[in-house]
Amino acid sequence: MNADLAAFIGRRLAAALLFVVVVSCAAFVLVRIAPGDATTDLYMQRGGTAAVEETRARLGLDRPMVSHLASWATGLLTFDLGQSSVYGRPVAGLVKERAGATAALASLALLLAAAIGLPLGVLTASRPAIAAAVAPISIALVACPPIIAVLALLLLAIETGWLSIAQGSYAVPTLALALPLAAMLERLQSRAMAEALASPDLVAAAARGVPRGRLLWVHAARQSLRPVLGIAGAVVGTLFSGSLAVEMVTSWPGLGRLLFDAVAGRDLFLAAGCALVGAVLVAVSNLLADVARALIDPRVREAA
Amino acid sequence: MRRERIGLVVITLLAAAGVLYWVQASRGGSTGPAPAGVVRGGRLIATHRSEPQSFNRYASANPAEELFARLTQATLVRLNRATGELEPRLAREWSSSPDGLTWTVKLREGVRFSDGLPFTSSDVLFTFQVLYDKRVASPLAGSAMVGDNPLTVRALDTQTVVIVFPAVYGPGLAILDSLPILPEHKLRRAFESGTFKQAWGVATPASEFAGLGPFTLQEYVPGQRVVYQSNPEFWRTDDQGRKLPYLDQIEVQIVPEQSAEMLRLEAGTVDVTTDQVRAEDLAGLQALQARGVVTLNEAGVATNPEMFWLNLNPSSALAKTRPWSQRLELRQAISHAVDRRRIVDTVYLGAAEPIFSTVTPGYGEWYVPDLPPIEFDQTRARALLASIGLADRNGDGKLDDERGETARFAIVTQKGHTIRERTCAIIQEQLQAVGLTVDVVALERTAFFSQVLGGTYEAAFFQLIFDSFDPASQFDFWASSKGFHIWHPSQAKPATEWEARIDDLMVKQSTTLDRAERRRLFAEAQRVLAANQPVITFAAAKVVVATSARVGGAMPSVLAPPVLWNAEMLWLVPAPAGASGK
Amino acid sequence: MIASAWVRWRMRLGAALLATFAGVAILAPVIAPNDPNSQFQDKAYAPPMRVRIAEGGSIRAPFVRQQVLEDRLARRFRDSDTTPLTLIWFSDGRLVTLEPSDGPLLLLGADSLGRDLFSRLVHGARLSFALAALGVAGALVLGALIGGLAGSAGGGIETGLMFITDFFLVLPGAYLVLVLRGALPLILSTTQVFFLMAALFAVAAWPHAARGVRAIVATERQREYAMAARAAGAGPLRLMRHLLPAARSFLGVEIMLLIPALLIAEATVSYLGLGFPVPTPSLGTMLQDAAKVSLMREAPWLLAPAATLFVVVLAVQLVVWTSAPATDLLVGRRRTQ
Repeated sequence: MNADLAAFIGRRLAAALLFVVVVSCAAFVLVRIAPGDATTDLYMQRGGTAAVEETRARLGLDRPMVSHLASWATGLLTFDLGQSSVYGRPVAGLVKERAGATAALASLALLLAAAIGLPLGVLTASRPAIAAAVAPISIALVACPPIIAVLALLLLAIETGWLSIAQGSYAVPTLALALPLAAMLERLQSRAMAEALASPDLVAAAARGVPRGRLLWVHAARQSLRPVLGIAGAVVGTLFSGSLAVEMVTSWPGLGRLLFDAVAGRDLFLAAGCALVGAVLVAVSNLLADVARALIDPRVREAA
Repeated sequence: MRRERIGLVVITLLAAAGVLYWVQASRGGSTGPAPAGVVRGGRLIATHRSEPQSFNRYASANPAEELFARLTQATLVRLNRATGELEPRLAREWSSSPDGLTWTVKLREGVRFSDGLPFTSSDVLFTFQVLYDKRVASPLAGSAMVGDNPLTVRALDTQTVVIVFPAVYGPGLAILDSLPILPEHKLRRAFESGTFKQAWGVATPASEFAGLGPFTLQEYVPGQRVVYQSNPEFWRTDDQGRKLPYLDQIEVQIVPEQSAEMLRLEAGTVDVTTDQVRAEDLAGLQALQARGVVTLNEAGVATNPEMFWLNLNPSSALAKTRPWSQRLELRQAISHAVDRRRIVDTVYLGAAEPIFSTVTPGYGEWYVPDLPPIEFDQTRARALLASIGLADRNGDGKLDDERGETARFAIVTQKGHTIRERTCAIIQEQLQAVGLTVDVVALERTAFFSQVLGGTYEAAFFQLIFDSFDPASQFDFWASSKGFHIWHPSQAKPATEWEARIDDLMVKQSTTLDRAERRRLFAEAQRVLAANQPVITFAAAKVVVATSARVGGAMPSVLAPPVLWNAEMLWLVPAPAGASGK
Repeated sequence: MIASAWVRWRMRLGAALLATFAGVAILAPVIAPNDPNSQFQDKAYAPPMRVRIAEGGSIRAPFVRQQVLEDRLARRFRDSDTTPLTLIWFSDGRLVTLEPSDGPLLLLGADSLGRDLFSRLVHGARLSFALAALGVAGALVLGALIGGLAGSAGGGIETGLMFITDFFLVLPGAYLVLVLRGALPLILSTTQVFFLMAALFAVAAWPHAARGVRAIVATERQREYAMAARAAGAGPLRLMRHLLPAARSFLGVEIMLLIPALLIAEATVSYLGLGFPVPTPSLGTMLQDAAKVSLMREAPWLLAPAATLFVVVLAVQLVVWTSAPATDLLVGRRRTQ
């Protein structure tokens, strides 16, 4: 690994760290200044003001914001994310389960989408017959962002019973995320492939007598990788946004729903914890994508 | 040939009769405990929409914790949630002094906790000590006070306690219905070291718990399920002397969405759900009942109806800027202008009753059937509004007040709650028809409570939950000095003459032990409330509780948990031979 | 760029769909047969009315049959056999409706409160579309300014602004809006929500525009005329005014990409309950009713807003994937012209 690459990775890492810190602190502050707090629910269950006061003190809601934020931040150093007021359990365990569920869903969707979309994209660029059949479906699926896809899949599952709608079943949520993404990857790959096939390098290789199969799947594919990797960051963001809608509709026990419950219940530590873990996931995926791009394309390393 | 045919017909008829009888018998319903068809054993699968935040009932007051306490702990006495009668539990019998203040309670003998240690009066004393302790600040303490004073408890011997009330209390020992008895030997150390509130948290290993209830905690998988198994030390037996509970295990799955619960019930994978069936699911479930998959039980009219009220606090912004909003005629107009039939038909799909008071027919003896009815009468509503000075002064079709401003107010309600949002939408439309402009604002729970408790709202639509039929449990709502007198809470002294009258009636009814007198006084309080309508009710659902067809012995209640409150008397009808087990 | 007949046809179809949608949205009060908030008694969950033109073997003016409620609990309706109800055109300021005494014309059925779904849909499309348009405008203005400034100024300003841009770019938009909106005071009228959401969307969407504008402007900066201007002492703001127009076609494509994205964002946020207040018809609030599993089986017409969103996004895709600048943008290439 040369110095250039190392410096690049170092810079991206620092940026990622800053990102995570800012996002989690922002979540903490926002939930803290929101109207109402975690004890409002308790009062409505007629706990009496003594119980409410005691809970407020225990949760630290009567402390000034800065010191509260500071103590939470110091807790982070020992990986102590505090206690959730909505669930009564340590935030760390709760977030780990849910983030795991969302990450599982997102990765599965990404893998599925890549496995379907990329090879199809290569094929549609090289064989017009396949393109004529696949392209309209692709365009239609790209037009189905996850919230629509999940509703359509739910309807399909109910009407035909081909997919399971049991809670915890991966079928509907994964497909809802994967299908639009696969279509988008297919479109992109197709386009990038078409350009790569027309490039002078490839024409030269063909003239040299490289067989068609190798041309397609090795040379052209490598060239088309760059633009596809380029949108990797946006893809991660889209996956997370899409997973929020999918989680809410299918009651998938993921990070998005947890964050929603935390904000709704004014659960400070849980909201900040979710934001933290979400930010880490996003930052790490982006970092990986950036490094991959930097490895392929040295020009990228110069840009901060 | 003919004889064979006749024989076949006879056998078929007998078999059909047998099947019919069997189906009939296993339908359960409120026919009383232990009919002949009881079968021991089995694992009941229930769903619950929330999960426990702690297993310490005295530290936390959520429905999930309440379920845990009902299954694993026992109280001294219990209010039968289907009939409203007071039943002896850990207390075998009791008697009161002539002045009604001192109650001598004899405890059941030979009772042991689930870990084998004996139950004695010192556990009762310990429980009360924890209840009223300032450090613990238990949410249950408020409901165990009589006029803000605690009960005093002392032990005469290991099997007898004496409970002294600071004042005569109408419901008497029913005050003990929500107080499970804690094992002193398990919790004393935590109590003395000041860590009681953290004791029995969700991470506590199952062996740390000890209880007097029909079940014990077997395992808790966070986010997934809580599993209970039968307590071999449980003290109760049925009428035939068989040990209770009949079930071996109860598995409570955590399913946060009601739609998901319904799907499982319809698929036959669960037996019992958190609470009653929604109107939109009824038709589908009726079809399933016809096929023998589920059993539907009608539990009566709901006792916690949704209510509409205006902010009647004179120091609120509403009262100061829009004095017409405080007038009785406005409330009467609203009550006349809204077609309750429409709400019953649209929001509840017909599975509800129009009601005109907060005390619905589901309250049994406390319900007053002859309150003056309120007809749906738009003309009368318009006349009432005109009488307080509201008229269309600028020809825009909307009523304006005396200053020429459009007469409007905003109703806040809970976002995401279908019944509340839809009912408010109908109220808005109906009031618009008589010229009143209403904005409906749906807020999520915390923001909603924040608004209502902070007094910054104009009108609200919500439901208050009372966990028994006895009016003493609603004291906080009726009494003007209390915090749940929602239209004008925590008054230093009654702001109106009729509120003073209600205060007086409620205090009287809660300080006499004469049931008939209490009924009379409460009926009078209801009449005064109806005449002044600070809250307006429209409809109360007809509560239908669904169980899978294999559940026997269910005594469904309109109060939650509708079936599991009597879990010790439930049994499972075994599947017919050849069918796959669940 | 292969401009085959198929591709041209796709673009025309996409453009036609978009124009129809925009037209319907703008003309909503005329096209809707009923008021979107009127609740019709005993019409809850009514299925769509079928418009027929043939009766008993003969052709007549378009008509529908009255719906009769058979079972309230099961939400079952049937078409009555009594006299047909003729559609009335161009009356009362509406394109098509029924005689007032015949009841409401329910082209797409009714929702859970008996409100006409079709009327709510066209009004909802109008509201959502207007919101998306405003949000896009805000995002583009913000993005163009920030990206243009960064590209024109270069150096530290460019690095700093781009750092901030990248920060926001990476945040998942839905989470950002969720937390921001969830933390804000919540008694808001439809108008207040409209402007607040437009602002939130502008904040969530400007980074993508800013990135693209900066890239274009930075390239332009190397041109001769720009170098000359800098040599003559023009500051970044002045320079920006000259360089920004080069980003015109990019911004054109951004509009096409952002409108469906913001429509979807509104649908998601309103569906979660953080958007428009419930009685207000918007594509998202209507989805709240539709997304219940138990209803989907019996009243699938409630999914009409989802279908509408699909058609709009599809139309945009059809246009975008056939135009060269757009596709290049998506692929990440820079045009050399």
